[in-house]
Amino acid sequence: MPKFGLSSTTAIVAATLIAGSALADTYGPFPVTLQGYDGEKTNSVSYSGQIARHTLEKSLKSLAGRGNGGANAAELEALMLAYFNGSDSDLEIVSPKSKDGFPISQSTVGAISKGKNIAGKFYNGAMPAWPGNMAGKDVVLHMISNAAAANKGFDAENGYDWGQLISKYTMGAMMFNQSVDNYLDEKLAADVKPNDKPYKDGAYYTGKEHSWDEGFGYWGAPAHTMDLTPKQAYAIAKGKDLAAADANGDGVVDLKTEYVFGPAYYAAGADKGGTQTTNYMHTIMQAFIDGRQVIADANGAALTDDQRAKLVSYAATIEGNWEKVLAEATFKYAGSVYKDIAKMEGLEGEELAKAYRAYVKHWGELKGFAMALQTGKNNLGATALELNTLIGFGPVTLDNSYVTGLDAEGNFVRERRMTWNDYQLNMLKVQKQLVDTFGIKSRANDQLAELEALAGALEAEAGAETD
Amino acid sequence: MYDQFNEIFGDFWDPKKRVFFGYLALSLLIALGWMTLLKRTSLKAALARIFDRRVFFSASAKADYKIFVLNRLFTLFISPLMIAQVTIATAVYFFLHDVDWLQSGQFGTTPKSVVVALFTVSLFLTDDFTKFLVHRWMHRWPLLWAIHKVHHSAETLTPVTVYRVHPLEGVLYGLRGTVTQGTVIPLFLFLFGTGVDLATVVGVNVLVFIFHITGSNLRHSHVDIHYWPWLERVLISPAQHQLHHSTAQTHHDKNFGAALAIWDWLFGSLHLSEKDATLQFGLPASQASATNLLDIYLRPFRDMARYVTRRAKRLTHWITRRSPDAG
Repeated sequence: MPKFGLSSTTAIVAATLIAGSALADTYGPFPVTLQGYDGEKTNSVSYSGQIARHTLEKSLKSLAGRGNGGANAAELEALMLAYFNGSDSDLEIVSPKSKDGFPISQSTVGAISKGKNIAGKFYNGAMPAWPGNMAGKDVVLHMISNAAAANKGFDAENGYDWGQLISKYTMGAMMFNQSVDNYLDEKLAADVKPNDKPYKDGAYYTGKEHSWDEGFGYWGAPAHTMDLTPKQAYAIAKGKDLAAADANGDGVVDLKTEYVFGPAYYAAGADKGGTQTTNYMHTIMQAFIDGRQVIADANGAALTDDQRAKLVSYAATIEGNWEKVLAEATFKYAGSVYKDIAKMEGLEGEELAKAYRAYVKHWGELKGFAMALQTGKNNLGATALELNTLIGFGPVTLDNSYVTGLDAEGNFVRERRMTWNDYQLNMLKVQKQLVDTFGIKSRANDQLAELEALAGALEAEAGAETD
Repeated sequence: MYDQFNEIFGDFWDPKKRVFFGYLALSLLIALGWMTLLKRTSLKAALARIFDRRVFFSASAKADYKIFVLNRLFTLFISPLMIAQVTIATAVYFFLHDVDWLQSGQFGTTPKSVVVALFTVSLFLTDDFTKFLVHRWMHRWPLLWAIHKVHHSAETLTPVTVYRVHPLEGVLYGLRGTVTQGTVIPLFLFLFGTGVDLATVVGVNVLVFIFHITGSNLRHSHVDIHYWPWLERVLISPAQHQLHHSTAQTHHDKNFGAALAIWDWLFGSLHLSEKDATLQFGLPASQASATNLLDIYLRPFRDMARYVTRRAKRLTHWITRRSPDAG
C-alpha cells in the first residue's frame, strides 16, 4: 500500500511538472535563425514598436480628458496629434505611469521604441458607424479635435466621452486591424516577407519571424501570459499585481514584455467575468506562441506550404477569438447602458448628473467597441448596419434627443428623439444580435440572463396537470 | 432500464407533481382523519372504503393506468416540439419596452421580500385563473369538449385519473402554462428589475405546495371531503370537484376551478358540495367509452372532424341560400 501511495504521488508530481512545463511556455526568447547572420543577437523576437504604440494609445486616452472647455483646445489638440502622428521629440508616457508598489521601467515612448506613431497604422476604410460619411482615420481625428475642445473629455449635450471613444475605437482600428488584417493575413503569403530573407535589409530576424512578432505585439499581452490567470492579467493592467507582472523578478515592470495592454486586458476581462466559461486570453496567447514555434522550427528556410497552412490556422484561431473578445466587450457595455438608464429613472440634480456621466462613459465604450468590430478582416455587412442603427451616432441624451448627423460646419445635430424604453430595447437587441452573430459565451451584464434563468427554472412548473 | 422506468414513473417521486408519494401519503392521512374523527367510521372500515377494490381495480381505473403509461410515452415525443417558455418570455419582455406608459424598473426600489411575495402570489393566481378559463372552454366549445370527454369518461376516480386526458389536452394545458408564466415572468422583471424570485418549498411554489399537502389528490377519489360553505366559495373542496364529474344534469358545467373557487363564484358556475349525496361518474356510451383505449384515443379526432364537417355544411348551405341566383 505505501508503495502504491508513493508511486502514484510520483506520477502526480511528474504529470504536474510536464503539464506545468507545457503551460509555462512564453513568447520568446526564440533563436536567431536568419541564414548568414553573424551578429551577436541570440533572440530574434522583436515587437517593441507595437508596445510603443500601445503607450501612445493609452496616453492619448488620458490626454483626451485634459480639456478645459475650449480655452486650451488648440494647444491640447496639437499635443494629442503629436501622440497620434508621432513626434520628433521623445514623448512622455502619460499612461501607464509608475506608482507606489508598481514601478514601471520606461517613462518615455522613446525608451521603448523611437519614431513610432498611430496614424501610419490606422484603419482607413469606410466608417459608417460615425456621422459625416468619413474614412476611418478622419473619424478619429474628428474625435481628437472634439476632445480637445471639451471639458475633461465630456460632452454632456451630445453624450460623448471622448477618451473612451478614441481608446476603444483605436483598439480595433489600429491593434485588431493591423494584427489580423495585415500581419496575420497578407504577410503570411508565400511571396510576402519570406522566411529565408531578412524582414528588411540589415535586420537580424526573418520576414516571417518579424511579421508574426508584429502581429503579436498589437495583441498587447506579456510574454509570460500563459503563467497568468485572467484575474492576474486584469490586475496588472490596473497597475496592481507587481508580483504577477514582474516575470524576471527585477522589481520593475518592463512595458515591453511584462505589461497587459488593451486587447489582452479585455480578453482577460471576458474570461474573468460573465459566465466564466471562456478562455480567450490563453487560447489566443497559445496560438501566438505555437505559430512562432513553427517559424522558429523552419530554421531560416522558406516556409513549406504545410508550415504556412499551420500558421494560417493559428492566425484563424487568433482572429476568431479576438473578434469574440471585441464582441464580448460590446455586449457587456450594451448591458451597462441598459442598467444605467434604469438607474437614472427617478434621480434628480447632482445624483442624476453623476449617473448620466457614467451612462455616457459606458456608451462611449459600447460605441468604441462596436466600431472596433467593424475594422477587422471580416466585412460584417448587415450585422454592422444593424448594430449602427441600434446604437446610433450618439446615445439618447437627457432631453431624449440624440445625434443624427453633422451639419455643414461639422457640428453635431440632434434632430430626433427616442424614449428611454425604446433605447433600452435597442440595447437588448444589440446583445441578442451579438450572441446570434458571434456566438459569444461570457456575456457579462447579460440583460436577458435573469429572464432566461427564471423562465428556464420554472419551465417544469408549467403544469400540464388538468382537472 | 432504470432510466426508462424513471422516465415513465418519475412523477411519483417528483415533488413538482401532484402524484408525488409524499402528497399521496398526506392525502391518505387526511382521508383517514376525516373518516375516523369526523365521520366516526372505524379505522378498518375507513381503510376498506379508501382502498376500495371496486374503485382501484375497476375497468375504468385500469384504463387510467394504461393511459398514464401511454401518455408518458407521447409526452416524450411531444415535449421537444413545444414552444419554449423562454421564447415567449423574451418576446413579451421586448414588447414591454414598447409600452409608453410603462417604465423599466418602475418599482425597482421595492424590497426583495415584497417582490418575491407578489411574484409568488401573482404566478399562483394567474396560473389558477388560466386553468379555470381553459377548463371552462373545454366544456363550452364542442371542439374542445371532444378532447376533454376523455377525462370525464372515467367511471371511478383515483389520484391517477388526473392523467386520464387526451394527449391533445396535455398539449393545450402545457401551452397555457407556458403562456401564463411566459407573461408573468417578464412583466415582473421589467417592473421590478432584478431580484424576482419564487418562494418555494421543495422547489415548488409555496402556494402550490400547500394545495398539494392539503389533499389535492382527494379531488379524484371517492372520499367526499367537503368544506364549510364559506370556504367552498374560496377553495374548491374534493367533494366539489367530484360533483364536477357527476353525471347528474344539475351538476353539469359546474366547478371548473383547480385550487380556487372564486373564479367559479365570479363566473356563476360555483356549486357547493351536497352532503352525503351519492354521485355517479362517467359519460353515456354514446359519448365516450370508459375502457376502450382505441376509442379513448381516436374518438376525439372523429368527433372533431364530424363537428367541423357539420359546420362547413351549414356554412355552405347558408351561402347558397343567400346567393342571388339560388332558387
